[in-house]
Amino acid sequence: MRGNLVRALLLPMALLALAVALGACGSDSKSSSSGGGKTGGKLTVLNQGDFEHADPGAAYYQFDFMIDYATQRPLYSYKPAETTKSPDLAEGEPTISPDKKTVTVKIKKGIKFSPPVNRAVTSKDVKYAIERAFSANVPNGYVGTYMPIAGAPPKPTPGVKPISGITTPDDQTIVFKLSKATGAFFAESLVLPASAPVPEEYASKFDKDNPSTYDKHQVATGPYMIENDKAGNTVGWVPDRKIHLVRNPNWDKATDYRPANLDEVEVQEGNEDTAAATRKVFTGSGLVTGDITPPGATLKDATTIYKSQFQDPFSGGWRAVMLNTSKKPFDDINVRKATIAGIDKTVLRQARGGQTIGDIAYHFLPADFPGFEEAGGASSDQDFMSKPTADKALVTKYFDAAGMKGGKYSGPNGDITLTCDNVDPGKAVCAATADMLRGLGFNPTIQAVPHEKMLLICGIPSKEPEVCPNVGWFKDFYDPQTMLDPTFKGTNILPENSANWPQLKVPAIDASMDKASLLTDQAARAKAWAEIDKQIVAQAPGSPYVWDKQPNAESKDVAGVINEYNSVWDLSHTALK
Amino acid sequence: MLRYIIRRLLWGIVLLVLVSALTFVIFYVLPSGDPAAQRAGPKAGPDLIAAVREQLHLNDPKIEQFGRYMKNVFFHFDFGMSFQNNTNVKDDIISRLPATISLSVGAVIVWLAIAFPVGIISAIRRRSFLDRFTMGASLVAISAPVYWLGLVALYLFADDVGKYKIFPGINSYVPISQDPVKWFESLILPWLVLAASFAAIYARLLRGNLIDTMSEDYIRTARAKGLGERRVVLRHGVRSAVTPVVTILGLDLGILLGGAILTESVFNIPGIGRYSYEAIQRLDLPKIQGTVLFAAFFIIALNIVVDIAYAFLDPRVKYG
Repeated sequence: MRGNLVRALLLPMALLALAVALGACGSDSKSSSSGGGKTGGKLTVLNQGDFEHADPGAAYYQFDFMIDYATQRPLYSYKPAETTKSPDLAEGEPTISPDKKTVTVKIKKGIKFSPPVNRAVTSKDVKYAIERAFSANVPNGYVGTYMPIAGAPPKPTPGVKPISGITTPDDQTIVFKLSKATGAFFAESLVLPASAPVPEEYASKFDKDNPSTYDKHQVATGPYMIENDKAGNTVGWVPDRKIHLVRNPNWDKATDYRPANLDEVEVQEGNEDTAAATRKVFTGSGLVTGDITPPGATLKDATTIYKSQFQDPFSGGWRAVMLNTSKKPFDDINVRKATIAGIDKTVLRQARGGQTIGDIAYHFLPADFPGFEEAGGASSDQDFMSKPTADKALVTKYFDAAGMKGGKYSGPNGDITLTCDNVDPGKAVCAATADMLRGLGFNPTIQAVPHEKMLLICGIPSKEPEVCPNVGWFKDFYDPQTMLDPTFKGTNILPENSANWPQLKVPAIDASMDKASLLTDQAARAKAWAEIDKQIVAQAPGSPYVWDKQPNAESKDVAGVINEYNSVWDLSHTALK
Repeated sequence: MLRYIIRRLLWGIVLLVLVSALTFVIFYVLPSGDPAAQRAGPKAGPDLIAAVREQLHLNDPKIEQFGRYMKNVFFHFDFGMSFQNNTNVKDDIISRLPATISLSVGAVIVWLAIAFPVGIISAIRRRSFLDRFTMGASLVAISAPVYWLGLVALYLFADDVGKYKIFPGINSYVPISQDPVKWFESLILPWLVLAASFAAIYARLLRGNLIDTMSEDYIRTARAKGLGERRVVLRHGVRSAVTPVVTILGLDLGILLGGAILTESVFNIPGIGRYSYEAIQRLDLPKIQGTVLFAAFFIIALNIVVDIAYAFLDPRVKYG
């Protein structure tokens, strides 16, 4: 009888095993095609996160730009391998008045909005797009900084308000009157997605919501659009799950430099295991990575086994250990120089992920960026900054200059706080920094907090600790002013969310920045800002230790094209083989 | 019985209010970051941050924020809008519920299908090879963290990144309404991974309870009356031994319906667990509050269901 019972109980287990086997039989294998780039097909992008801001008017982060550059046409944009802007919605280069306070742009004819708007774009659509970016309903992080348009509200407005400094003499012309003579810099900023047209008659009802709900109803001017229904609801965007791009039926290839090879793109989100996702891309078909940064071991495979399926362009940014120049002991420039000379950048880079994450940094204009070579290239003219590893002799030299003998800090203010990320890789960088500072005679205490809180603390000057080892800065567009002005100008020590982490306030540097910001010629600007970079380094505000690279993986059957501006795959140039 | 159910329901509501209050205090009164600065971006000036703060009502007195939140949650079932991507949290959670139910209920079926036979066989064949083997294996299953087991399973058996390409892998989840066969296939590996440790715990629990029960006098009496062994074990032994299992089943299912965070994250199943994980990572307070309340609701509701189920499972239990 007991034997019968056992058999009876084994039945569900057998059924379970059968179900498993059936399931296994049901799974099919993938095939991959080969050959050169072709027109058509579907590309799948494996992503970890979602849009930060789906509305092009508020777009800010790398991934937002990746989608916007495929769906929207700002006045200007960057071709994949170029660092100078190309006309996109604009017909040609902007006209800058001799006083550099007026910028005029002519826009192309024949560019239409995607359904359900279906009409030709006019200059009024660009005017409205920029006006809405100044409203509180479309929280835009950069227009206030980069677009000093006359009549623009000093504070974000409730609802969209007209800006007197933007006029549209005809449907093809838009004129920007500026409050400062910074025409050239302003013209460069027109590559930002906020200059992509938005149809007022369609968007205004969504823009009345605070925050605006235009993101869920947006229309496109680029070769692709987020799949929508007849009413314009972007059904192709399922937050935190997927973004489905389809061809924009109103896009005219004759008006665009983008080849737009693919028929559709699907972004699959939530790939938290970045190692598995990257491996899936390498071994799978029709896949690329989106916002994923694979861990070190996977990067090693990427640079060896899958070398032909991997690209890691410079992302145009730096990471640094910043010293608070407003607080003791780092208010003494010689203490700062000694400290920087004692920091081993190779150890910090290793703690962050190793050689594959980027090159050792020696100043604040990153590699492959205007002004980089003029600022010293992969070196620095300051001895304390010019070496990848610690230099004991230099440490001793500068501590001596600060009145401390024995190559170590021996002053009364050696108790310092480092506010750091509480998770790796920031946590590891912080621990390594603390070890080095201890070796230099300081008594460091680590305040480990979530990344957002670290930025909050380091961004409030009155609360900022002596050292912030986990901060970094990345370009907004190819102009050196975007790298140095927000981070080192005295007037940019803001009461909160300040990015001038060292709290550097040197009148001579501020004056140089004011002068350089007025320059029109790009080469002259690069040279002037390179000199400013040198001035900043001479002040020893901190130790940049890596110029970041962005890892990107593709499947064998993908002919991926990287857009250097965004450092990720350019969806409107990438193709399937 | 009815009075008991009403009392439990009212207590459930009180508990939900308390959980809401606690969540609010943890995430709003003691915040670990500034949601306005986060939403505005690192290049935003103080004016923009102030505008965003206004937009998110973060300047209002805490008590006012709490009152508004409670009113919206309990009267309109509205958890607010995500700080991160401006989506409706209630809609997000509801859209993710089918995936979480699919994963949780399926895993429960799998682990009960494993635990019951294993637990019963081990109990009635104590110290046999089968007993020792299954109990040893259950220790291994209990010791294996679900995220580790999930990754190992993927690297071994997933058809995308696995060595032996047998089961659909990461991102393969398909809603049942779209394709029932693919839905079933896509969940086989997650079900097995999620069920592994639970099956082991339940098998050991059932075994222990059944061993105790089988030595009770009434079991001996049942045998003496000449009842068949199957009837003695299943009708008299298991029915009594299963009561504690039902208790923890209610709790476990409640927790899982609130989100199987690790399993959903490893397999990228778009359920409430992955939603919670993303919300925590991005400090998206409305999302965190929504998922915490949702989980609390399931745990409380299923506890009430379990308590009621006792009356039917165990004739000795009476509610006044």
